[in-house]
Amino acid sequence: MDKKVEAIILAIMCFILTIGICIQINTVNNNGSTVSGSQQENNLKSQVLKMKEKYENQYAELERAERELEKERENIASSNTELAELESKIKKANLLLGNTNVTGTGIKVTLSDGKADPKILDAENLIVHAENVLAVVNEMKNAGAEAISINEERVTNTTAISCDGNIIIVNGKKVGSPIQITAIGFVELLSNLNRPGSTLETFKNNGKIVDFKKNSNLEIPKYTGVLNFKYAKTVK
Amino acid sequence: MLFIAILIGCILGAIVGINVPIISYSYSSYLAIAIIAALDSVFGGITGTLKGEFNFKVFISGFFCNSILSMLLTYLGNKLNVDIYLAAIVVFVGRMFINLTIIRKYYIDKWSEKYQEYKTRKANKIQEEQK
Repeated sequence: MDKKVEAIILAIMCFILTIGICIQINTVNNNGSTVSGSQQENNLKSQVLKMKEKYENQYAELERAERELEKERENIASSNTELAELESKIKKANLLLGNTNVTGTGIKVTLSDGKADPKILDAENLIVHAENVLAVVNEMKNAGAEAISINEERVTNTTAISCDGNIIIVNGKKVGSPIQITAIGFVELLSNLNRPGSTLETFKNNGKIVDFKKNSNLEIPKYTGVLNFKYAKTVK
Repeated sequence: MLFIAILIGCILGAIVGINVPIISYSYSSYLAIAIIAALDSVFGGITGTLKGEFNFKVFISGFFCNSILSMLLTYLGNKLNVDIYLAAIVVFVGRMFINLTIIRKYYIDKWSEKYQEYKTRKANKIQEEQK
């Protein structure tokens, strides 16, 4: 066989091979999985990643089904005034429950751990704790915030903010520093969070890094969990 | 010529591969074993070309069949809870090393021959000058 043809065939095969290698490297990098020395650890890691992927796929399917459902509801509601009223009620309830993505004016507070400083005696004060986040969320609610999220995790009426070692758990999901707390509401009222002597100012004095920003176009994602009421029943 | 073609193929592949979307993590173990099989075939192809016994049909069919077969074996291993892919890796990497040895020997022979020629030519020249 001609040498030229051989070289070209080998080049094409190498082309395919390098595409495969690049895809594989990208995939592995994207999942942040490094090969660890222990086989067991590797297996557990890959299992977690597979489960996560499964969850994401299922969630995307669920979202698609929900969109379809909404379309169907709208179709039916457009022909019947009584149903239209119910439809608007459902929409309002979903908005209140935090089941929809919302956008509007508001503020964004970023809390991050302070840098180690020998002058500060109590290093405990430098760290952003779950209680600090809770205090900020409470103040936001006090100032009339209509929708709040912590690092893209929506705060609903069932949300718990708890401490879990060096991270914070919101809605059962891990949240780490820097913590971005976003609130949508009346900006002038929400701005009071930044007043002298406020919680945020105390954090600043303690050595934490606090960033306060007003924003006219914020977006807060919807709650991704499931709301279940098993025990509470309406009183007749 | 051969290595320039391979280099061009690799560079083009890298450019395309970086811009191709990533696959889902569940399938990455299959792709990994396919890559090893393909790598083995490419080394086999290079060896064949150097030896002058390159067979186009054998090479192409080996490239794809080995990849697919190793992926199927990995799948079977997953189902049976046996790491069959380890056996495939041992075979492929073992063959890769054998092929690498052949390639290395070929070039060592070629270059040492050239060096010998150069030496004799130089000696001849010196002899002629002395005359």
